[in-house]
Amino acid sequence: MPVTEGTKGSSKRSDIRASEIMATAGARQLRDGEVVVVGLGLPEVASVLAKRTHAPRLTTMLETGVMNPSPKDTPVGLPDSRAFYGATCLTGFLDVMGMNLHRGVVDVGFLGALELDRYGNINTTLVKDESGKIRYVNGSAGGNDVASLAKRVIVIMRHEKRKLPLAVAHLTSPGFAGGRSRQELNLRGGGPSRVITDMAVLGFDEKTHTMSVLSLHPGVGLEELKANTGFPLHIPNEIATTPLPTAEELRLLREEIDPKGVHLK
Amino acid sequence: MADKIKSVSEVVRTIPSGSHIALGGFAIARNPIVVVHELIRQQKRDLTLSQGVVGLDTDLLVGAGLVTHLIMGGGSLDRFGPAHCVNRARETKSLRCEDLTSLSVSFRYLAGALGLSFIPIKSLFASEILERLEAGPGASDVKRSKCPFTGEEYVLLRALEPDVSFIHVQIADAVGNCQIHGARWSNDEQAKAGRRVVVVAEEIVPTEFIRRSPERTVIPGHRVEAVIHQPYGALPTCVHGCYDYDADHLRLYVEHAKEPRRVQEYLDKFVLGCRDHWEYLEKLGGLPRMEELRADPISGY
Repeated sequence: MPVTEGTKGSSKRSDIRASEIMATAGARQLRDGEVVVVGLGLPEVASVLAKRTHAPRLTTMLETGVMNPSPKDTPVGLPDSRAFYGATCLTGFLDVMGMNLHRGVVDVGFLGALELDRYGNINTTLVKDESGKIRYVNGSAGGNDVASLAKRVIVIMRHEKRKLPLAVAHLTSPGFAGGRSRQELNLRGGGPSRVITDMAVLGFDEKTHTMSVLSLHPGVGLEELKANTGFPLHIPNEIATTPLPTAEELRLLREEIDPKGVHLK
Repeated sequence: MADKIKSVSEVVRTIPSGSHIALGGFAIARNPIVVVHELIRQQKRDLTLSQGVVGLDTDLLVGAGLVTHLIMGGGSLDRFGPAHCVNRARETKSLRCEDLTSLSVSFRYLAGALGLSFIPIKSLFASEILERLEAGPGASDVKRSKCPFTGEEYVLLRALEPDVSFIHVQIADAVGNCQIHGARWSNDEQAKAGRRVVVVAEEIVPTEFIRRSPERTVIPGHRVEAVIHQPYGALPTCVHGCYDYDADHLRLYVEHAKEPRRVQEYLDKFVLGCRDHWEYLEKLGGLPRMEELRADPISGY
């Protein structure tokens, strides 16, 4: 695949890791002044990048009861002091997830997924092998709550066929389950709006609530994308190319936000 | 007021097998490890455990085979690995698991703390979490219903009132006024939902010290039955402002927890093979190791 030229100020595709394109694409989905609940890993990296570039008035929250942290030294998890370094408020679940998320003031829920299906349903509970044997993993934690209640949800994950199956092995956190509207599902939050993978940025078709291709990352072809997706994608007439990170975005990611490259592998 | 400071063995002796215990840890932070070890040494069986997000504390008790009912919102040992013992117990169906979400567990504690018998929530709809609960382990704890005023659909959750809530805190005075530094996840409502509340404190301070910053008191003394004083009582998990997690030991634990037969090997060495927490701390490397893990006063880790 030929390398597509980036926009002015962008770097060459060959120097840039897919995770860096994902983090930047994630950051660009966040608008200044919004309230975001993030998980660790790329969602947190993307929110910090947004805050340090176009969205300085973003309010970020961690479910443990943390507001506006400036994570330092690569935390191992949400309750690690490194994750809430420099926070403006330290409280608990009931405040962040109850009096903010459940109250309806969280604009964006930023999640990862073990499996994601065409309707944006997320599985983080279990995997089934070919014989049907179940292996449990982490479960929901706040994932189901965020997916149910945030005004919109952004999912960030690796693009692999087995991670994007026709139906998730366990519906942990609902998107447009069964292709139905959020109202029909008794859910207050608006549901999934974007899926950011290492191949593309995807959205959801308004009528069918199925996943739709918005932009392909430079160097990725549509056939390649389809071949790596376990369900039929909605293909609009025009598909854009995902803009590459700018030099400044790359500097922030590499030198300040994840210097050890733990999340930006 | 009478001093409430008690030894962990004294407190655990008052807990009958079959009790519902709420644990205040979250993944690799502020786990009441000293209590968990003593529950294992005294072989308190048939326990119901509840926790917003499980951690090492719950994984140890499940690994020791002492838990028959688990109420949780998920969890892991963060980057160190999954909660192997919890996941395996679910796979082998050796315990009854009410798999909820962190907010729904917090709401259930809140209901308990407020003296309500149930609480409505807008999570869980359209998920297999709800379907599975309704079909089995949580059938008597969840119910769909409408708001009598607006007609809106809700999931109603039964309140949680643990027999004993164990919370690990940084400082407490001798009568149980507790201050928690850092994020508190569901500790506030979890403590207040408890029929009995026992805290483990890193440091016991004079009440006069508490009075200097009473706005930081999260659990007031009158709700606390006993205070266990145990420095480094949460190791290998971290306590914000006191010490970092012991990454080496957490890795060693996960290596053992992966295989059922090695779980017992771990318990034999680090729990059953230790008279008390001090002897356990020696096995983790003693004072030199604790000095390495001691938190920087600015960063808190």
